[in-house]
Amino acid sequence: MKRNWLNIVVGVLLLAVFFGVLFVFQVRKGEVAVVTTFGKATRFEGPGAHLKLPWPFQQVYKFDQRIHSLESKFEQVQTADGYNLLVMTYIGWNISDPRSFYITIGNSMTKAEETLESLLRNAYSGVIGRHMLADIIAPDPKMSKFTQIEEEILAKLKSDLLSSTNNYGLDVKFLGIKKLGLPESVTEAVFERMRSERQLLVSKIQSEGERMASEIRSAADTESSKILTEAEAQAMRIRASGELEAAKTYAEFKQEPELANFLLSLNALESFLKGKTVLFLDTQTAPLNLLKSPLRLGSETTVTNFILRDNIPGK
Amino acid sequence: MTNIEKNNSLSPGRRIADQQPKERVEEASVQALSEALRSSFVIIKVIMVILVLLFLGSGFFTVRTMEKAIILRFGKPVTEDESALLGPGAHFAFPKPIDEVVKIPLGEVQSVVTQEGWYYTTPAMEVAGNEPPPGKTLNPERDGYLITSDGGIVHIRGTLRYRIAEPGLRYTLDFDSASNHVKNAFDNALVYAALRSTIDITKDTTAFREIATARLNELVEKQKLGIVVEQVAVQVIPPRQLRADFDRVLEADVKRSTTINDARRYENETISKAKAEATAKINAAEAERKALVELVSADVRLFKSLLPEFKKNPQLFKELRYAEILNRIFTNSIERVVLQEREDGKPRELRILINREPEQPPTPEQKTAEHKH
Repeated sequence: MKRNWLNIVVGVLLLAVFFGVLFVFQVRKGEVAVVTTFGKATRFEGPGAHLKLPWPFQQVYKFDQRIHSLESKFEQVQTADGYNLLVMTYIGWNISDPRSFYITIGNSMTKAEETLESLLRNAYSGVIGRHMLADIIAPDPKMSKFTQIEEEILAKLKSDLLSSTNNYGLDVKFLGIKKLGLPESVTEAVFERMRSERQLLVSKIQSEGERMASEIRSAADTESSKILTEAEAQAMRIRASGELEAAKTYAEFKQEPELANFLLSLNALESFLKGKTVLFLDTQTAPLNLLKSPLRLGSETTVTNFILRDNIPGK
Repeated sequence: MTNIEKNNSLSPGRRIADQQPKERVEEASVQALSEALRSSFVIIKVIMVILVLLFLGSGFFTVRTMEKAIILRFGKPVTEDESALLGPGAHFAFPKPIDEVVKIPLGEVQSVVTQEGWYYTTPAMEVAGNEPPPGKTLNPERDGYLITSDGGIVHIRGTLRYRIAEPGLRYTLDFDSASNHVKNAFDNALVYAALRSTIDITKDTTAFREIATARLNELVEKQKLGIVVEQVAVQVIPPRQLRADFDRVLEADVKRSTTINDARRYENETISKAKAEATAKINAAEAERKALVELVSADVRLFKSLLPEFKKNPQLFKELRYAEILNRIFTNSIERVVLQEREDGKPRELRILINREPEQPPTPEQKTAEHKH
């Protein structure tokens, strides 16, 4: 009895698995499924578990509805003013309408990509062909129409997708320029130009450096001579103030100019005869006149000293 | 006969006796077999139970810190609500055909490297240092580069570090390969930023990086990529064909700063020298002033102190002072010669030899001077 019950459970489970495989299908998040009945699309199912009739009655095709990235080739296009430019764009696209997608493209992502790529190329070469080179490579960034061009390409691609005789059921979410380039032969010319720019820059830097250095030097010279002149002036002022002070002091001499003269002469005399001096004096000089004839004593020097020390102060 | 019978009668009995153990043996073997079968059934049952348990147990999974997970039941998120996100810890999901666990590495920093703007090379070549030498031109099929607003060519390669933004459903479920989209957006941002910069980005990339990051954030917002940009790092070099020319500019730059530094040093030296000289001059003047004032005031002090004496008798005073000074002079001077008047009253003649050059004694040039009265 117990064994029978187990058998039944196992049997039911196996049956369930069998029917599950035959009649149920899963759609993952991000996918959409098209159910065809005898080859004709009849139902669309979003994520979850769904029922179907087994083959050959019904078939299920699943499409990845997530956003895919697609890069165009790096191809040459011509701007409105005749310059050649290499452009690579990228888009984010997805399947917006599984029915149209199934009808027009079938179940091939590769075919969808090919379709998009040709439309994309058409769109960007058309849009860039309407713009000048300076709209893309603009010396003034404010004049750059980079984002505007991207928007125009996206708008063109979207309208192409809608207006095309076959509605592909595709949607482009975003578009951008991935790479820009110049034709290979042009790069050499660019190098040449850049090289001459560099050379110009080198000589500019050199002369600028020299100019700045000489400016600094001459400014330093001016500054130092200014400092010296000012110092000179100040020194003169100081000396003048000293002389003024001296003059004020000298005014005291007015009380007795004769004494002043006498004192100054004495000073001068004394300072003139300072140090090693040999004096020749004859007896007509003031104190020595005393040595004239009446007095004649031994050594001259002794006499002189004697006279000078003892006689003069007491005179 | 009996013997034979006996024999005969014996034989069936024997046969029976022989037969009986045979049957018993068969029965035993059947029994053993069924025993063995029963036990192996038990083993199989145990194994099956273990398998079922394992099957169910495989539904347990852990979500690490900085990670989130979402369960897709039959391919459909359990709820569309963000609250369905499972945080770190142990969780249960039914095994494969029923549930699918999608983990979202929220905290993990992902990085994207782009070489679209770089010349053709490989990491191996770079390490070995045998990159292909620069040709005369850049082949668009092989060598990438970016164009600056002044029409220049630079090589740029960038590394973008980013995290998946909360809640991370968009990044994980809505793109076939989200990192491709991120890379495309990053490439676009670099192209865009280069077109807004000049060739000077080979020296300083700060502004370039700022523009590129701003542009990238704008694209992330617009395309709802669901990431947080952590860091944009770029390496910018001038075309290898022009390396020497760019180096010369750098050299000139260095030279310029040396020249300017020299000039600045000269400036410092000159000015400090001038300042020192100026101070010296002023100090000298000050000293002179002081000396003069001192001297004068000394004179005046003397004058004042002598004035009363002088006024008493000017003539006498003068003579006294004069004699005093002479006395001082006579004391100081080393040699004193007093010439007596000649008896006959005629002036006395005196010859003085002055040795002009005492350094050269062999041929002393002597000169005579006359002193007459």
